Amino acid sequence: MIQKNWWKGLGVVILIYVFVSGLLVPLKPGITGVSPGSAKTGDVLSVAVEGYNSFFLKGAATQKAWLKLNNEYLLEAQELEVLDDRHLNAVFTIPAFLPVSGKVQDVALILDNAIDGPSVLPSAVFITQDSIQPERGQREWPVVTPPDLHVIRSFAFPFRNILAESIRNTYFHVPLWFAMIFLFLASIVHSIKYLRSGDPRADHRASAFTSGGIFYGLLGVVTGAIWAKNTWGAYWSWDVKQNMTAIALLIYFAYFILRGLFEDPEQRARISAVYNIFAFSLLIPLIYIIPRLTDSLHPGAGGNPALGGEDLDNTMRMVFYPAIIGWTLLGFWMVNLLYRIKDLDFKYLNAKSNR
Amino acid sequence: MALKSEGMRYLTVIFFWLLCSTPVLLAQQTDPDFMRSMGKMYVVVGVIAAIFLGLIVFLFTIEKRLTKLENQIKEHE
Repeated sequence: MIQKNWWKGLGVVILIYVFVSGLLVPLKPGITGVSPGSAKTGDVLSVAVEGYNSFFLKGAATQKAWLKLNNEYLLEAQELEVLDDRHLNAVFTIPAFLPVSGKVQDVALILDNAIDGPSVLPSAVFITQDSIQPERGQREWPVVTPPDLHVIRSFAFPFRNILAESIRNTYFHVPLWFAMIFLFLASIVHSIKYLRSGDPRADHRASAFTSGGIFYGLLGVVTGAIWAKNTWGAYWSWDVKQNMTAIALLIYFAYFILRGLFEDPEQRARISAVYNIFAFSLLIPLIYIIPRLTDSLHPGAGGNPALGGEDLDNTMRMVFYPAIIGWTLLGFWMVNLLYRIKDLDFKYLNAKSNR
Repeated sequence: MALKSEGMRYLTVIFFWLLCSTPVLLAQQTDPDFMRSMGKMYVVVGVIAAIFLGLIVFLFTIEKRLTKLENQIKEHE
């Protein structure tokens, strides 16, 4: 019993670890908002900053703030007033001219103190100017000299401005898709096995793994839509990533329609095995290649793989990779139940009702 | 036997009614501001709830298949 089913227990243990650490590890400090979000050149601008998971009071002695323009210019706040751990006011004297030849320029806000470490809000303030004199602006704006930012080593997930806490969906939504691919791969292996051996049990496994993959795919679409509603504003934005996954899942739905068309179990198994291989060879370009060739709203799409660079840091990897294994093992368990029923059905009732 | 299957049918109806109405109720009661409060934590809660509902649906379908198989085997005997 234990020798045969150890992997199910392993999957559950891994998923418990994923749920506990994925939900309890805090986010790094960040900036959720500033007001006002616009200013004119020559203003003395006082911005109210709202922090997230921040400790402005504790770090008040070392608190600093800058406005950063185009990675070239850095304007330090001349006055800081810490109200509480999450709120502070920063006063900047904006020079009379911008160093760029445009009417409007966005600047990022950078905060740093010894407790929180640095945090950035891109495009925090938009500065407008009436007359354009970049030469004077270049003289008036202080050129970047890299400030001594505090490096904080803490066990926390990164704070991303649009994602905030929903970055945790990396352990609940994303692994469903990885697990779906593994289930479909297992399905292909059994389809090929069937084509080589003609063993009906291989056909049952192929069909069960396909059901499991579709189940995870549908869950992935639903969880993605819930997230998209609160991030992009709509459940379905006709984004290329959403559309291509919908097409891929429809192709897999057709697998079951195809199975329903044949009365003869051998014919059904043979044709659906071939179709399964065809469906998988469409799945890869549909969900991995096409969304990366065009622009997409989805994190990690539009050219840059999601696993690279700043989208996934080492703290997240410690939960994300186990999450993939855990959800995959859970999927294999569910599929295991499905094909055992199919095997029983076949054994006792001889394949008549076995679709 | 007849009673059992009839009870099962009622349960099925109630179950699917709950399943369909839960997202609707959630959508009515929770405006986006609530979902986005606390740093969008409720988006994560919603995603986990959806996965949980999905697992319940899976259990339900497998229960149905198994019951059907049990009945058929019983008839054969």
